[in-house]
Amino acid sequence: MLLTAPPERQEPVADIALRFVGRWWIAFAASAVFVVAGHLVIKAGLNSLPPLVHGSGLAARLLHAILQPQVLGGLLIYGMGTVCWMRTVSQKEISFVYPLSSVNYVLVVAASTVFFQEVVSANRAAGVLLIVLGMILMTRQSGETRQ
Amino acid sequence: MNPKLMIWISVLLSAVAQIFLKRGLTNLQAQGERSPGLLGLILGVIRQQFIWYWGVCFVLAMALWLAGLQKLDLSYAYPLVSVGYVLVTFLSAVLFHERVDRQRWLAVAVICLGVILVAGS
Repeated sequence: MLLTAPPERQEPVADIALRFVGRWWIAFAASAVFVVAGHLVIKAGLNSLPPLVHGSGLAARLLHAILQPQVLGGLLIYGMGTVCWMRTVSQKEISFVYPLSSVNYVLVVAASTVFFQEVVSANRAAGVLLIVLGMILMTRQSGETRQ
Repeated sequence: MNPKLMIWISVLLSAVAQIFLKRGLTNLQAQGERSPGLLGLILGVIRQQFIWYWGVCFVLAMALWLAGLQKLDLSYAYPLVSVGYVLVTFLSAVLFHERVDRQRWLAVAVICLGVILVAGS
């Protein structure tokens, strides 16, 4: 007879959390969200800059832009997206996640029409779709299945 | 400077920056000890000239991006980033003699076509 019951195999919460973070698609989704949001926030900040004094140089314009809190925040969000992207690439083959990342182009352009009322012409939309197609072609190997 | 020109230079610089970074990190790995420790790692990064080139290109690219984007639509400028893949493919073939197969050249052509359409829009 067993006197001591075998200890229950219970995973520490930290381990469960780590396993969750370790899933490539979470890292990928986070990178897409942060990269797209970062670019949008940067553009929102640039749009809200007060008009500059006529004839101000490039350096003055840049300082003006960088000191805008939204621009700075957008850069940070974009940086977080880059970190998540590196994490994605370290967990999944780049040939698989790379074409997926072309969704960023579609999302940024779509969001620009919604948030900034930008007008996307048929040519611009077609151009973005060709870019997505090209990125899919770039990593898909012909005649060979890749894992 | 023309905002469109700023965006083009920015996009090309960030592609070049990626190549410098790749080169710098590869050199770092090649010469690195097994476990250099944090200080050793920092010193190694500082001594690696390609990582400095990367930093300079990256900062310049970011500055030009911000300056150019003030005057342009985001839906115009952002798709142009993809021209970086075209440049990286060319540079890999020319500088590093990497073999680029026919499908990859086709992909480059399709991306170029897309970029031309967006640039003209």
